[in-house]
Parts: sequence; C-alpha cells; structure tokens
Amino acid sequence: MFKVKKKMGLILVSSIVSLGLLAACGSEESDSSAEGGKMKIEVVAKGFQHDFWRAVKTGAENAAEEFDAEIQFVGPKNESAIAEQVEMINNAINKKPSAIALAALDTNASLDAIQKAMNNEIPIIGFDSGVPDAPEGSVLANASTDNYAAGELAAEGMFKGIEEKVASANGDVIRIGVVAQEVNSLSITARTEGFVDKMVELVEGKVGKGKVAVTGHAKLENDVKVKGAPVVIETRVPAQLTDAAGQTEAQTLLEKSDLIGIYGSNEFAAKAIINADNAISGGKIGPDKVIAVGFDSGALQLDAVKTERFYGSITQDPISIGYQAVKLAIEAAKGEEVADVDTGAKWYDASNIDSEEIAPLLYE
Amino acid sequence: MNTKIEKEHSSNLLLSITKNQKFIAAVALFIIYLFFFVSSTAFRSTDTLTSIFDASYYIGFLAIGVTFVIITGGIDLSIGTVMMCTAIIGGVLYTNLGLPLWLALLSMIAVGALFGLINGVLVARFKLPAFIATLGTMMVARGLGSIVSDVQSITFPLRGSEDGWYKSIFRLENNFPMGIVVLLIFTILAAVILNKTKIGRYIFAIGSNREATRLSGVNVNKWETLAYVISGICAGVAGIAYAATYTTILPGEGAGFELDAIAGVVIGGTSLSGGVGTIFGTIIGVFIMSVLKVGLPYIDLQPHYQLFITGIVVIIAVYFDVRRRYKRG
Repeated sequence: MFKVKKKMGLILVSSIVSLGLLAACGSEESDSSAEGGKMKIEVVAKGFQHDFWRAVKTGAENAAEEFDAEIQFVGPKNESAIAEQVEMINNAINKKPSAIALAALDTNASLDAIQKAMNNEIPIIGFDSGVPDAPEGSVLANASTDNYAAGELAAEGMFKGIEEKVASANGDVIRIGVVAQEVNSLSITARTEGFVDKMVELVEGKVGKGKVAVTGHAKLENDVKVKGAPVVIETRVPAQLTDAAGQTEAQTLLEKSDLIGIYGSNEFAAKAIINADNAISGGKIGPDKVIAVGFDSGALQLDAVKTERFYGSITQDPISIGYQAVKLAIEAAKGEEVADVDTGAKWYDASNIDSEEIAPLLYE
Repeated sequence: MNTKIEKEHSSNLLLSITKNQKFIAAVALFIIYLFFFVSSTAFRSTDTLTSIFDASYYIGFLAIGVTFVIITGGIDLSIGTVMMCTAIIGGVLYTNLGLPLWLALLSMIAVGALFGLINGVLVARFKLPAFIATLGTMMVARGLGSIVSDVQSITFPLRGSEDGWYKSIFRLENNFPMGIVVLLIFTILAAVILNKTKIGRYIFAIGSNREATRLSGVNVNKWETLAYVISGICAGVAGIAYAATYTTILPGEGAGFELDAIAGVVIGGTSLSGGVGTIFGTIIGVFIMSVLKVGLPYIDLQPHYQLFITGIVVIIAVYFDVRRRYKRG
C-alpha cells in the first residue's frame, strides 16, 4: 500500500517538474523574441466576454499587427468584479510592459496600482471610459468616444425625421423628450448635453432664436421661458437606477400629446423608451408617429431599429477604441507626445444596420 | 502474528499520511512557485510577490475561519457575501453615519460574528443542514448589503487621506506587504486555538464523532455554534482586508469567494467529512491558488485558466482525502 502511494507521489511530482521544464523552455524562446525589439503592451479592459469588448479586442489586435507589437488583452468577468480587475492591473504592471492601456472599473480601487505604474515609469493610456479623475500625470492620453459630438450626431439624425413637423408647426407647441440615465457620469451627461445643444441650434434655425425652451432637469435647463415657447425640449432623469424608474420617466414623456421626438442617451435610456412604449396600447413611437432615437446597442434596441420603431441610433466604434488605445500606447512607450483621440461615433438605422461598416460595431 | 504487524504498520501509515497531506501541499506550493520563477523573468520580482500576498489576504482570512467549521463536519457557504456585507455596513457606518473609522472597522467584525452566530444556531440548535442554512444566510447577507447601501457603491478612505491609516495594516507606505505579517500572526493564533485549547479539542471531537462527544457530556451545540462564530469573525476581518486592498465595495458581490476559500481549505488537507484538518495546511492551500492566479498570466495564460487548473488541484487534494478515509475505515 505504502509503495503504491510512494509511486503515485513520485509520478505526480516528476510529471509536474517535467511539465515545468517543458514550459520553461518554451517561454524562454518567447522571451528572446521579446528582446528582439517587439514592444509589449498590456491591455486591461472592463470586460472580456461581452461583444463590445470582443470588438475592442479585435481593434487592439489590428493595431498590434500593424505596428508589430505584442499585446495581452485581459478583462474581468463582469463590470462589478473590481477586485479581479485590480489584480489584473497589478499583474500587468509587474510584467514590466512597454505601456499599459486601461479602462478602469473604479479609479479609487486602482490608485495604488496606478501609482506603482508611475513609479516604474510605465505609461498608461486610458480607453473607452478611461480612468476618470486619475492622478495628474498618470494617464497620458485617452482613446475614447467624444460623447458630446456623439450627442450632436444623434440630434442631427433625429432632426431629419422631425424637420417637417418643426417647420409646419403653426402656433401649436411641439415637444422633444430626452431620457438620460443620470447626470453624474461625465460620458452620459456629455451625450445628453451634446444632443440638447445641437437640437436647440437646429430648431432655432427653423423657428428663430430664443424660441426653444429647455426644461426638466435643472442641470440642463436654459433661460428661455417654457410658457409661450413654440418648441420645448424636456429632459427627464430617473431618481433611481432601476429599469422601472427609467420606464416611468419615458412613459411620462410619451404620454404627452405634443411630443414629436424622443431621445435616450444610452442603452439604459433607450430600453426605458422601448419598454414604456410597449406599455402604451398601440404604441406612440414609429414612422409618422413620435421619432425615437437611441444610443449604443442591446438586443431590444437593435430590434427596435430593425423594425423601424426607432428612427435610428448612435453607436460608438469599439474597434476604433481598441485600435487607437494600442496605437497611443505604442507611441507613448516610444516617448512620443500623445494627445486624446476621438474614436468616433456612427449613426445607424434600418437601412444600414446590417452593413459591413456598422454590423461589427453592434452588440446584443 | 502477521496480521498484527500489518495492523501496526497501517496505523503508522495513517499517522504519516495525515502529516503528509500538509507536506504534499507545501511541496506543491514550492514546485508551482519554482515553476513560474523559472518560466518567467518578470515573475522574479518583489512586486509580483506583493501581488501574490495582496490576492491572499481576504481569501486567507475566510479560509482560516471556514476551516473551523469544516473540521466540525459542517460547511459555511455564507462567508463570501458576509465578508462583502460587513465591508458595506462598515463603509456606510463610516461615510453616511460619520462613525470613527476604527469603530466602523470593529463593527464589521461584530457584524461578521453575528452572522456566524445565526449560522451556528441554525445548524447546531435547530439542526438545519449546514449547506442549506448557510446558503440562506449567504443570500440574506447579499441582500442586506444592497439594502443597507441602497444599491450604491461604497468607497473607503483613500491612501494618504485623513483616515487612510487602515490601509497600512496591509501595505505600508513604502510598499512593504505588512498584510503577510498580519496574516501569519492571525494564522498562528488560529492554529493555537485549534490545537492547544478546549475549543479546538471539542471542535475536532465533534467532527470525528458528534454523538460520542455529546454522550461524553460535552455541550456540542455550544462548541459547534462557536465554530460558526469564529468563521463569521474571520469573514469580518476578511472584510477589513478587502476594503484596505480594493477600496471600493459594490453591493451584491462576494458570491464565489467562499468557494475559493473552501478550495484552499481542501487543498490544504482538511477533510470535508470533518475531524481532520490544519490551519497551516489551509494557508498553504490559499497560497497555491494565489500563486496560480498571479503566475499564470506570466506564461501568457488568461486568468480563466486558473479556474481550470485550481479545479484539477482540488480534485487531486480530495482524492488524497478519500484515500485517507478509505484506509482509516
């Protein structure tokens, strides 16, 4: 009996050791290739499985191939796995890469790691939502969507659908609704503000200056009095971050008879509009009805765009985000001056949703 | 004559294997570390070692606590979410209610102990199966964290801020991993309680044979409950370690950490059927998992390979456990 045990142990230990030696030989080869000048970039994303991050990874790999760098793309299992991501960032730094591209889940949790990178003089490039409120000098540049410009794009898209109604409104008040998930996050607020500002500008072009009142959330209001204004843009922000609360706000807007357009400034808000509309018999949004415009993707929203209930939507460009992140990281590692890059946003509707240009950017 | 010798031989064997399991785990830890050390030049840094320690603290405390419960023959599935729940409650007490930080941290341990007490009473007094009772408190803790925080994330004070001192319990300003010292002291303390005190003796006795222990006049309900309370206290300490290491606490998280801790316990040679186990084995088990977690990316394997490999290690460890019991039987 004892002998059997001993043999077992021996086999186990020797197999582990031989495995180790085998792998050691293998990795030494890759070490030497790294010395051959290939730059090593660690990319730490906010996720891994989600289609959005898959697209980011594709972009990152494209850049790695183009500039002959080696990348390691990692991300936690979901957007609440902060501890897992912090361990990943630490790991990435310990590997002493040429640069790190980072989309931090939580800046506070990552501060120690970011400090360590600075001490080791490893440049950090932010991508997607980047590293908000990062200590000065730690993040050299960001590759992210210019959310304000993306919001403007949404306004331009919607305006095509409501232009006639705006021009032909004779005396009756017309209303454009905006559902925003929140007004604390910079990215979502910028998307909302970009939309509101651009829409005011476009509508004023038709009805004259000072004729568009922005009401609703205090942070977004303008000075024009609602009373007597021919066009009202009404923003609504749910009190809680729940689907139900978002839906309530959207429904309040949809039930106003003077509503001609409605915009949801992220996936949450777009979903709220769709769900609210489902709850109204007959539905209020669609062609020749209320013109609805969304942001990002998601199964529900994609279906709404395909079936033309949504006039269109804005999508970010995750492939470009990944590509630019790695490109910036490589430039930073070379010591070149780097600056923020807008990775762009695109308008999509039923006509181009399946096109080669748009389809890879969308996710369910 | 022959059979007698064989019997003696096998009882010696039993003794040597019981000691062996911890030994095997230590050797495995050494080999795994050596493997990464040889494979990757970047792995050979103190920063990497610090990362391994960082990843071990909270799981280490959880695992030490649950070792007591597992030795009684029970299980505690609630520790992961209880840990997060204590951290959220501590954070709310500090940020929203303005309690001094030291008091908030102590309250976390108290909350953990309370959860342990509830588990203990449910299992020892009301005879609920430990698996089900602690599954229930696991969900309760998860929900409670969300209720208390109103589903908002909680941020503990940052390093360098007025109340940032608690971070130095686990990492000094000069990056010295103080936490490993704290964890080792805690380990020794737990080992002394388990091996040198009445508490430990009765916990082992309950795990070996609950009925015999009861018949010999021991208040088994009390000591079994105490094992769960110890587990809860450790979850509170783990909550402090987690907050110090990761700063931001999200409500509704923590599920899954208990399985990491239990895996560490099993790898370290503690028998899931109770009556056998060591604290040092548990710590070695935890470090095996941390070394794998931190080491694998160095050989360009994604972290999910860690799950795969840890799973195999757990199966091997349980295999040894089953062999041992088979022989004892």
